[in-house]
Amino acid sequence: MEPTLRPGDWLLVDPDAHRGRAPAAGELVVVIDPRAPARWLIKRVVGVAADGALALGGDNPAHAREATLETVPPSSVTGRPWLRYWPPRRISRIG
Amino acid sequence: MLSRVMEALAPRRTAHAHCDIPCGVYDPQQARIEAESCYKIIQKYHDSSDEVFRMRAIHVKEERAELAKHHIDVMWHDYFKPEHVEKFPDLHAVCWKAAKQASQVKRTVDLDEAQKLLDLIDKIDQMWRETNGPATTRMQQLQPVG
Repeated sequence: MEPTLRPGDWLLVDPDAHRGRAPAAGELVVVIDPRAPARWLIKRVVGVAADGALALGGDNPAHAREATLETVPPSSVTGRPWLRYWPPRRISRIG
Repeated sequence: MLSRVMEALAPRRTAHAHCDIPCGVYDPQQARIEAESCYKIIQKYHDSSDEVFRMRAIHVKEERAELAKHHIDVMWHDYFKPEHVEKFPDLHAVCWKAAKQASQVKRTVDLDEAQKLLDLIDKIDQMWRETNGPATTRMQQLQPVG
């Protein structure tokens, strides 16, 4: 997810962002990893299928050709990251 | 004092942005080796009357079948590309069935089910070979000396 996010970034995640509205293409989301339910992933929504399934991708242009889009059900979304509050030099809204 | 503040501010959960590097190394043999292990474990399970051995066999088969499933998933989600699906229209069905069969091998000591898993992985292997996988996703191995 570089350059948008770097390892060690501390983020605020809004768990209520998607009450009443589905995630849209272009948004950052935190989702439960479909392959390992104890693990959370943070990715960008690349597209939304007709049945509501979300196609997720990364922001790193170097991986764009090789990356395969993960598809997850909307129920696996746990929230929307909206603020990086650490490190201090990189405090900013995100998404 | 500062460390207490940092502790209070630190996130409670970690979210991962990278599932993969991706390193670009893919080979269905990783799945096949685990599936062969399951097959042999089932054979040895049936050949043994030692209850401790049989319990251990079940336990290890569970682990190896899960690894087979992981390697199948990596091939499916990370190696194969849209142009491969055009060449092999049943690609998704084969990978899906293989992953489900790995789950089945966890549940059973039926040797036929383990054989079915090997057969499905062989189909994935064929698709990998016919999409130039060996040349593009494996490093060239050095020739053995002598």
